Amino acid sequence: MRYTARDLATRALRRGPSQQETHLMVLTPDFDTRPVISFQHVWKTYPTGTEALRDVNLVVPEGDFVFLVGPSGAGKSTLVRLLIREEKPTKGKIFVDGIELGRMKRRQLPKYRRKVGLVFQDFKLLPNLTVYENVAFALRVHGEAEHTIHSRAAEALDTVGLAGKENSLPANLSGGEQQRVAIARALVHAPRFIIADEPTGNLDPATAWEIMQLFLRINARGATVVMATHNREIVDLLRRRVVAIDAGQVARDDRSGRYHDDLSKSQIRAQ
Amino acid sequence: MIYRNLRFALNSAWQSFWRNLAVSMAAVLSITLILILAGINLLVGHAFSQVLDGFRAKVSEISINVADGTPLQSVYDFQQQLSTDPRVSGVRFITKDEALVQFKADPNNLVLAQQIEGNPLDAKLEVRVTRLDDVAAIDTLARRWPGVDPTNPTNYQGDFVNRMLELSSWLGVAGVGLLAILVVVSIVIVMNTIRTAVYHRRKEIEVMKLVGATEWFVRGPFVIEGVMTGLIAAAFALALLVIAYEPAVDRFRSDVAFIPLSYDPAFVASLARDLLVGGALLGALGSYIGVRRYVRL
Ligand SMILES: Nc1ncnc2c1ncn2[C@@H]1O[C@H](COP(=O)(O)OP(=O)(O)OP(=O)(O)O)[C@@H](O)[C@H]1O
Ligand SMILES: [Mg+2]
Repeated sequence: MRYTARDLATRALRRGPSQQETHLMVLTPDFDTRPVISFQHVWKTYPTGTEALRDVNLVVPEGDFVFLVGPSGAGKSTLVRLLIREEKPTKGKIFVDGIELGRMKRRQLPKYRRKVGLVFQDFKLLPNLTVYENVAFALRVHGEAEHTIHSRAAEALDTVGLAGKENSLPANLSGGEQQRVAIARALVHAPRFIIADEPTGNLDPATAWEIMQLFLRINARGATVVMATHNREIVDLLRRRVVAIDAGQVARDDRSGRYHDDLSKSQIRAQ
Repeated sequence: MIYRNLRFALNSAWQSFWRNLAVSMAAVLSITLILILAGINLLVGHAFSQVLDGFRAKVSEISINVADGTPLQSVYDFQQQLSTDPRVSGVRFITKDEALVQFKADPNNLVLAQQIEGNPLDAKLEVRVTRLDDVAAIDTLARRWPGVDPTNPTNYQGDFVNRMLELSSWLGVAGVGLLAILVVVSIVIVMNTIRTAVYHRRKEIEVMKLVGATEWFVRGPFVIEGVMTGLIAAAFALALLVIAYEPAVDRFRSDVAFIPLSYDPAFVASLARDLLVGGALLGALGSYIGVRRYVRL
């Protein structure tokens, strides 16, 4: 029996996949839109004893755009850290692009990280490098040739609308511009995944909206985007997939969701 | 790609070295001092081993006194037996007459020689033993030979030789022990220097790791910085030692004339190699350890 991709995605997204289905999805490569990220019964307990994630199941098909929402301390950043293998799950499995992250050798980690573009709330730019060098850095680390670095960095900076700012230092840029540099750096090696943790957290609404447009554009070009955010207006406006995390569990997974579900809204109204 | 990575590592090591110049120079100076101590240790060790070699050559000769009236054939047979022994590098037969001539020729025996009547001296087999450790065995062999003079069989002084052997092995142990301490101290110094450099660049390291740098890519610049520190220190130490070596030997020779210390220019080449290789390795190892915790993905 062969599922169509849409079947799979809808089923998975409506009620969360059964273990059998996720297994099948991960191991069967020939779908039009393959699930490229899958969390299977993932638990994360920090050494301090905090249970940050509890039995999380999540499937993300290729090309999807996912908002992770939820109150502070819900476990969104933990999920992101697991996804980029900064942390390992305490229990359960995480597959990205067919690789089980928990079993991945440290040696393979650099190769994996090159498939992923990362964007953070605090930009994580290197203050003593110029805009160009910050972007080029991501390629230099891979040992790319200088002419490749040059053309790709220029292209990435052009994409984020920073052509002409190559020689500025991050300190002389606005927050929005700094985040654009960070996005250019995340883009420059053409990653299949963009993972962002509150990328608009430090930006005013108008700038946040511009930055969000960039992510949408990157997504439209085919990259799968997973983004933790507190930006209610944007989430409600875009009506993309929303995965709500609460106390370490997936509380809600809506195909075209809002920041709050109707129940919590009615609760808010009732108060 | 390896070339490009190497160039990146060299570049950033160089920058980091100059950016934290005060710390870098402090490390260079400390390691210079340590390498000077290590160098002195090596030089003194070398000088002693030269002196010891002289002693060894002397004590590894044993003369076997032949009893009067032993048939010449028996002496030749024994000489033959000794010279085919693999532990022996040479045997010389000295007749009674030759022994007397030698005795009289020695100015120390001037008074005694005048009182000698006839020839009280024994004929001797002078045996050169290759390894000092085997002298005792040859001595035992000689004492069992029927032709040996029973009242005064050989000139072997086991105690003296054993003490010499002990002394030289203690000196060796002390030298190695001192070197080991110096090695550990300098590794700790490099480690702390590199930790400072790492601390200044922890953000860069974090970003490197997030964008997919390998552990060696992150580690490379620091290891190279450590090697640079070690090499510069070794060059300083070497320059000072080379300048001081010959005058120091001269001074020592005039003060303590009975120890035959000598200046050995050939040793300078091996000292240079040891210090440079040692400095580079210490630097590499120190920074490898210093950066380990931060590099781990
Ligand atoms: N390194 C850590 N060690 C111990 N506990 C941690 C660690 N990181 C996070 N936690 C805890 O795990 C829980 C989830 O934290 P997490 O950072 O994932 O939340 P979040 O959803 O990202 O919150 P926010 O919206 O404020 O960023 C919290 O209770 C937090 O205190
Ligand atoms: Mg967070």
